[in-house]
Amino acid sequence: MIVEAIVFYMFSTILLLSGIMVISARNPVHSVLFLILGFFNAAGLFVLLGAEFLAMILVIVYVGAVAVLFLFVVMMLNVDMSRMRDNLKKNMTVAAVVGFVLLGELVWIFSNWHFSEDAELNVQTPFSAEDAMDNTRALGEVMYTDYMLFFQMAGLVLLVAMIGAITLTLRHRPGVKRQKINEQVNRQVKDVLRVEQVESGSGIV
Amino acid sequence: MLEIGIVHYLIVAAALFVTGVFGIFLNRSNVILILMSIELILLSVTINLVTFSHFLHDLTGQVFAMLILTIAAAEAAIGLAILMTYFRKKGSIDVTEINIMKG
Amino acid sequence: MYSLADFYFHATAALPEIVLTVFGMIILLFGLVREDKSTPQVTLMTVSAFAVTALVIAAMPSEPFKGFMGSFIYDPFAQFMKLLVLMGGAACLAMTLSYNTQEKINRFEFPVLALFSTVGMMFIISANDLMLAYVGLELMSLPLYVLVSIRRDFLRSSEAGIKYFVLGALASGMILYGISLIYGFSGTINFTRLSETLALQDGVSITLSFGLIMLICGVAFKLSAVPFHMWTPDVYEGAPTSVTAFLAIAPKTAVFALLARILFDGFGDMTAQWQDVIWIIAAASMIVGAFAAIPQTSIKRLLAYSTIGHMGYALVGMTAASFDGVRSMIVYMALYMVMNIGVFAIVLMLRQNDRQTTDIDNLSGLGKTHPVVALMMTVLMFSMAGIPPLAGFFGKLFVFQAAVSAELYGLAVLGVLTSVVAAYYYLRIIKIMYFEEPIHVLDKPTRDLEVISGIATIFVVAFILFPQSLVNAAQAAATALVTI
Repeated sequence: MIVEAIVFYMFSTILLLSGIMVISARNPVHSVLFLILGFFNAAGLFVLLGAEFLAMILVIVYVGAVAVLFLFVVMMLNVDMSRMRDNLKKNMTVAAVVGFVLLGELVWIFSNWHFSEDAELNVQTPFSAEDAMDNTRALGEVMYTDYMLFFQMAGLVLLVAMIGAITLTLRHRPGVKRQKINEQVNRQVKDVLRVEQVESGSGIV
Repeated sequence: MLEIGIVHYLIVAAALFVTGVFGIFLNRSNVILILMSIELILLSVTINLVTFSHFLHDLTGQVFAMLILTIAAAEAAIGLAILMTYFRKKGSIDVTEINIMKG
Repeated sequence: MYSLADFYFHATAALPEIVLTVFGMIILLFGLVREDKSTPQVTLMTVSAFAVTALVIAAMPSEPFKGFMGSFIYDPFAQFMKLLVLMGGAACLAMTLSYNTQEKINRFEFPVLALFSTVGMMFIISANDLMLAYVGLELMSLPLYVLVSIRRDFLRSSEAGIKYFVLGALASGMILYGISLIYGFSGTINFTRLSETLALQDGVSITLSFGLIMLICGVAFKLSAVPFHMWTPDVYEGAPTSVTAFLAIAPKTAVFALLARILFDGFGDMTAQWQDVIWIIAAASMIVGAFAAIPQTSIKRLLAYSTIGHMGYALVGMTAASFDGVRSMIVYMALYMVMNIGVFAIVLMLRQNDRQTTDIDNLSGLGKTHPVVALMMTVLMFSMAGIPPLAGFFGKLFVFQAAVSAELYGLAVLGVLTSVVAAYYYLRIIKIMYFEEPIHVLDKPTRDLEVISGIATIFVVAFILFPQSLVNAAQAAATALVTI
């Protein structure tokens, strides 16, 4: 119990501190790195909650892909941040007031948390802690059956994102030589090879 | 205090959510930091859902969290692509310079 | 857990979505092979895909049917709203044909992205749980972000894209946080079970109210209702006009359907709580839509505020929280769609030296130079202002009737007053067209836009002859949603 508490406080403290650093770091590259640190600690919290698969997904997809995408863009744009930080103080008071009011409200709501009386009955895809089935398997069993529609729709969202990103950023520069696979595959012997009858002593013209 | 219950997780998620909202207000001129703040908000929602999933013994929350991760990745890709087109044209990503259009 | 056979059975409920998605993939491949020169064909194929999907919907039986663990619902309400969305989407895409070529944004991805966005809209219309609502909203919004910023060599387009994207992502964050609270408290995200839980509940949970309010705020953003409307004028102005038309017509109808489902199916037992929130949003939207439009000089910004106002009027029907209210809301959205198709077709025609012009002053003298266009614009503007006997008048009349019968007198009076104010800027356009000397002569409009605008105008004029048929259709749709 003590160990769980210590681990929880460690993960959540680092998570919140890195969250604060993300929004206040002077250098955007540092912001991205703190975001990655935050994701790792959130993954730790997921493990504590028994959601190992999501924890791994968070590390692989988020840290491995999304955060690195951010890092690429930040480095590529090479933005001068110091000038943007100037109006930071100006926004500070409003932001602080909004933030603390919101946090206060949420803590007040959560401090005497209780589920609805029917919450247990409403559960759609229950799993029991005593079950020997591990988290990944349990998720896999519902993901492609009960939640088939959502799985397919997520695929559609990713397709749309791909089309969108390509539409916006792909540019065909003139003068760049590209591989023409179609022409390569359709190349026939008769197009490129010529057999000549050469009379002896005359040579090829 | 040592007994870690649902409230602890919810308050961590709430604090992270507020950090994200705070970040958007604070860095109104910097689109990249706004995008990262939005990632923080989505992470806090994910923590919320996984927590509820754990305490309700219901996998729905985890499936939802997984969908959010997928869609957030798609969203980040599109957001960064739009940002790239803007940067190519303008040479900066400072939104305070956006004054062609009225607020 | 169920088998593949069950999946096929459930998939029949989502047949229209599946058909449209498959068409989308085929059209995408066709476009990829034939590249950008095939854009006119791709657009026409997309319009025909919409038509085929509409036929599938019309051919489906209208008994309510729930599939996929109850998260997908197919009923007359979904049927009617999906037909509206498909009709609006098809009309918008047909309007893009000449405009996109003239503005050199004739990329084949354009219609494909619009198609996938429409698939998302159809899913949210059929959403019976919050997960489908969220995924559908994202599937709808992501292509819209791209479409808004599709004009890469035009700074305003990218700026509008950034603004729309950032605020849209923030709205999704709010929606999600609200959903997580609702799920956490009740243990379910399904509207049917949620309403059962709420019916047994004594007293109102603060968590649930907080979650619902965050959800409503996020959805109100997508509707561009006040106080979440800030993006609307900028995005409408910055986006290419063909995208603005699509943005103003199709998604609004779909999101309205979603809001109605959330409020009536899911939170029908918390009417007292959400009624006040929607009341405020409706009243504020009507006021801002009426007053902020007056000083505008760009027709696109003016139409943005006009949209905000119209959203307010349609929300009045929602506030009534009654069968009449929902019916009037559906009728209002249908008429809003037709009027906007007509108006945007005319806005797309406004070209000068082969460039789009959006300055209202350039409309001057249109009555002399292009009498037919000016006549259509006049009729549509009168209708938007709600002047009898045109269609827009009936839309407002039904909404206010519903508000009065729900004893929302304040809202009804406010609605009438703001319509009078709004009439001022609609009539100002007519005055500019007929009573000011022409400054510049506009280019000759293309035939297809004239035809689309003409059809919309004829509908608006002729609506008085057959108001009952639309009301009856809306009645059947509303019956599925609100059981009295």
